[in-house]
Amino acid sequence: MATSSSPSIAIPGQLLGPASKYQPGPGTHIHESNLYSSLLGVVHINQPAKAPGPAKRLNKILPVVPTELPTITVSRSGVSEKREALPEVGNTVLCRVIRITPRQAVVAILVCGDTVLEAEWQGLIRSQDVRATEKDKVKVYESFRPGDIVRAEVISLGDQANYYLSTARNELGVIMATSEAGNTMYPVSWKEYKDPETGFSEPRKVAKPN
Amino acid sequence: MADRRRINGPVGTTVAPIFEDDVAQESKEAPKSTRSRAPNAIRKMYLKTGVTPSASGSAYLEIETSAKGPVSGLKLTCTVHGPRSLPKSTPFSPHMILSAHVKYAPFATQQRRGYIRDQTERDLGTQLETALRGAIIADRWPKSGVDIIISIIEGDQDRATSKSQGDETWDMMNALSGCVTVASAALADAGIDCVDTVAAGVAALVQDGSADSSPTIVVDPIPSEHEKVLGACCIAYLPTRDEITNLWFKGNLPASEMDLYNQLVDRGIEASRSANQVLVECLGETIGGAASGQVS
Repeated sequence: MATSSSPSIAIPGQLLGPASKYQPGPGTHIHESNLYSSLLGVVHINQPAKAPGPAKRLNKILPVVPTELPTITVSRSGVSEKREALPEVGNTVLCRVIRITPRQAVVAILVCGDTVLEAEWQGLIRSQDVRATEKDKVKVYESFRPGDIVRAEVISLGDQANYYLSTARNELGVIMATSEAGNTMYPVSWKEYKDPETGFSEPRKVAKPN
Repeated sequence: MADRRRINGPVGTTVAPIFEDDVAQESKEAPKSTRSRAPNAIRKMYLKTGVTPSASGSAYLEIETSAKGPVSGLKLTCTVHGPRSLPKSTPFSPHMILSAHVKYAPFATQQRRGYIRDQTERDLGTQLETALRGAIIADRWPKSGVDIIISIIEGDQDRATSKSQGDETWDMMNALSGCVTVASAALADAGIDCVDTVAAGVAALVQDGSADSSPTIVVDPIPSEHEKVLGACCIAYLPTRDEITNLWFKGNLPASEMDLYNQLVDRGIEASRSANQVLVECLGETIGGAASGQVS
C-alpha cells in the first residue's frame, strides 16, 4: 500500500478530485461526479495493490476489468482516536454474553474490528445462528454462558435494539470462558472447555484458535 | 426569644438591590450606540473546537460586542454526544437520529431565564436541527442517535432595548446563527459525516434616523444600534453546495417588493459565507494543530 507522500488535510465539503480518477473510501462522498470530503481529517491516497507475480496468461474471454483506481480516504487516525465506529454487516466483533434464553443469547458488543467501541451496542445470537450444522439440535445453554467473551460476525443490523450476530464458522465462538467455580478455562475440543483446577469440563461453542 | 429552629430573616429592614444598569437605564436617553462597521461586515468572532474533553465533539464560539453600555456579546458552547445506541423504545431507524437542545444559562441575559427550556429555546432547537439535518449524511450511521447540546453562556445584546422595541426575535436570530456555526464545528470535531460545513448569517432591513428615511440592509445587525428593525432573515447555508438548509424570515415588508426579499436573502448568504470563513479556519487549526502535535 503506497501512501502519497504529502497527506494534506480536508474539512467537510472540500473537493478532493473527480470520481473518474479516484475511488471513494471512508470519510468521503460523491456529489455530481466529484469526490468531496465528509470528515475533518487527513487525506490519504492509497494506490491499488498490484497483483503479485507475473500476469496470468489469458486463456478465456473475460469482461474488461475496470482499471483499479487509487482510493482516497479521509480519516482522523493518528490525529484523534475519538471517532466512533459502528458495527456493520460482515464485521467480526468481540462481545460479552449478558443473558441467555432457550432461543437466543443476548450479548454486548465491545470491540468491532480493531476498534474498541465507546458506546455499548446490544447484539443477539439466535440459536439457529450458533453453528452451521445440526442447527436444530443447538442448545443455547450448551453453547454460551453469561460472562463468556465471544467472537462473532455481524449478519444483520437487526431490529431497533439488537444487531444479529452469528458464530456459524469454525473460527467464531467462545474465546474466553469462566467455569461455574469461577476459574478461567481452556478449550479442549470444538465443544468443550475445561477447568484446570476442578477438572470438570463444560460445553461451549468453542472458537478455533488461530 | 427568637425561634432557633427556623432560619429567621434579618432583623432590620431590607431594600431590594438596585443595579447600576437599572439606574443607567432610568437616566437613559444616553448617547445611543451606532453601527461603526460597514453594512456588509459581520462582527469578529472567536471559534475553537475540542473544549469539552468528555464529549465526542465540542466547540466554543464568542462574538465580540461593538455596542456600548449594558450590552454583551454572544458566548456559547456546543457539545456533541454520540453516535450512540438508541434507547430500546425507539423504533428501528435506518439513519442517524439527530436531537438538538438549546438552552440559555439562567444568567445569560439581563432578564433571568428559567432552568427548564422555554418556548423560544425549543424553537431555536428545532430550527438548529433543521439546519444541521441538511448538512449531515445521516444514513452512514444506522440505528444511532446524536445529541447536540448548546448552552448560551452569555446572551447577545441589550435585552432592555429589544424589549422596549417589543420584539426579542432579532436577538434570537443572532443567537440561532451562532448556534448553527458552533454546532457545525462541533459536529466536524466529533467526526460525523457532513456534506459541507454549514454556517449561518443574519441580514436585516433597518431604518436609521427619522421614519421617512429610506431603509438599508445590513448584515449581523445589533438591534440597539438601529432606530428600527423592519425585517430580518437568518440563513443557514452550505457554501460549496450552494444550498440553504434553513431559512427564517420575519418582519413587516411590503409584499409587492419581491426584490427586497431577494436582497435580504442574498445578504444573509453573504453573512453566512463570512461566518464560514472563520469556521473553515478554525477547523484547519483543529486538524493542523493536532497533526503537528502528533508529529513532535
